[in-house]
Amino acid sequence: MNDSVGNSPMNDPLAWVNGSDAPEKGSLDLGFMALSDCASMVVAATQGFAQPYGLTLNLKRQSSWANLRDKLVSGELDAAHSLYGLIYAVHLGIGGVAPTDMAVLMGLNQNGQSINLSHGLQQQGVITPEALDRHVHQSRTKLTFAQTFPTGTHAMWLYYWLASQGIHPLQDVDSVVVPPPQMVAHLQAGRIDGFCVGEPWCASAVKQNQGFTLATTQAIWPDHPEKVLGCTQAFVDQNPNTARVLVRAILEASRFIEESRENRRSTAQLLSGREYLDAPLDCIEPRLLGIYDDGLGNQWQDPHALRFFADGEVNLPYLSDGMWFMTQFRRWGLLREDPDYLGVARQVQQLALYRQAADGLGIATNDQDMRSSQLIDGKIWDGSDPAGYARSFRLHALADPTHRQALR
Amino acid sequence: MLRILLINDTPRKVGRLKTALIEAGFDVIDESGLTIDLPARVETVRPDVILIDTESPGRDVMEQVVLVSRDQPRPIVMFTDEHDPNVMRQAIKSGVSAYIVEGIQAQRLQPILDVAMARFESDQALRAQLQARDQQLAERKRIELAKGMLMKMKDCNEEEAYTLMRRQAMSRQQKLIQVAEQIIAMSELLG
Repeated sequence: MNDSVGNSPMNDPLAWVNGSDAPEKGSLDLGFMALSDCASMVVAATQGFAQPYGLTLNLKRQSSWANLRDKLVSGELDAAHSLYGLIYAVHLGIGGVAPTDMAVLMGLNQNGQSINLSHGLQQQGVITPEALDRHVHQSRTKLTFAQTFPTGTHAMWLYYWLASQGIHPLQDVDSVVVPPPQMVAHLQAGRIDGFCVGEPWCASAVKQNQGFTLATTQAIWPDHPEKVLGCTQAFVDQNPNTARVLVRAILEASRFIEESRENRRSTAQLLSGREYLDAPLDCIEPRLLGIYDDGLGNQWQDPHALRFFADGEVNLPYLSDGMWFMTQFRRWGLLREDPDYLGVARQVQQLALYRQAADGLGIATNDQDMRSSQLIDGKIWDGSDPAGYARSFRLHALADPTHRQALR
Repeated sequence: MLRILLINDTPRKVGRLKTALIEAGFDVIDESGLTIDLPARVETVRPDVILIDTESPGRDVMEQVVLVSRDQPRPIVMFTDEHDPNVMRQAIKSGVSAYIVEGIQAQRLQPILDVAMARFESDQALRAQLQARDQQLAERKRIELAKGMLMKMKDCNEEEAYTLMRRQAMSRQQKLIQVAEQIIAMSELLG
């Protein structure tokens, strides 16, 4: 303990000259939403992963994504568990805030969201994508689907999946926004016919016999990017050491969660606590362990379930991951023109900082900045031609005037 | 006269906000209950200003309204960018979010925000950075101490001791420091 005091910049005048790794800010306020995929942040903050770095992490649960965003931008939160698309929407100035330079410090998780339909549709036999396609195109009343944020990942998964089944998400159905913890109640009340959200809210709908899981998001894109550790660029510029050790602490927590099945179970128990998800353990634990029950009598162990680490594969903020969300914003008319996809991604994705943090822990980092994936419609996304990719879809709402009103 | 849509869907006491705004000469429409059909109601009421609790889950629904309205003649924005960012910061801190129709001058908005901010219960959670630092240092020492005791008791290495403590803490929805204190207390008892 004496050693660390002796090395602190205040006691050692040369520390400034030699460069100090001590965090510039000792106590951070971190925002999160009540979703199973906030786990690595909650474990890092409560289980002493940041303490050795001289960092205290204070968890701040948020009631909406918009609120989380505004507090990030205004500096009331230092960093947050964020939807990938939300960070890019703020950076590009889409939505209710002026454009602000943002940063993705690391990926927090992949996979583990799903699209669910109501019990009512199930009773009408709408239990397959084909039946849904028929229902949408033959029924006189429009179905209403909920997602969690206009530029969020759930909106993009929902749109992508519907379009891959021949359903235009902005014309053939209505799309509304509902905060995650309220999904099941709205489904039960018949105000929505289906939704796309993260866990435990999908498992909860199945458990309460209010709905069934029609498609997992990992079926849309195996090992897709999902939540990130987001902050403003100003925070990284002012606190580079803090940002680096924050990534380290969360990486260590991610590794810990996946070290054993026992650790995953304990994580589920922690998450069910009132201060975190405030949800029953039996809605959280199974899918956190990859055990799925779709509510139609099918059970399986999912090979691409929610994951936090996978030897760091989950956490590297690939440029192509960030760019994909911009291509979808473009596809659905949220962006009127092509942005400088690569330039913006290079600005937002903090690859160098992440690699420094991971190297310090002996976690292997890929030296590629892009990765290649095949999505549900057979298309390959590798980041090489974003503008062409955005324009390559049969169903879209590329901003031409007739499509503008279709946003709702 | 400016028309204000007041969305009231959180348990927080908005108090006499509505009366106060009416007394200040504004046309106030009070909305409570569910926000899912907010886009339709905004279209019907056509308010100039929408006031909503920052903590309201309905904030995400307002995002949709913002995006939809950007192609209409009167787009709704949240705190126009020419507006002082400090006002936004201050308003969010005190728990009020305002969405305004583009083109309304800042000086006309100010009295509304003043009234709203005074009425919303301000969140006074002040965090002292220094205090947190002291506490974190103290906690670190206690965790180290407990880890040492556990290594001796269980005859295990450092990493194993940490894992045991963390699993115990997590399965009880506690923090690591709480389990460390329990180990220290137990160890003192058994002496």
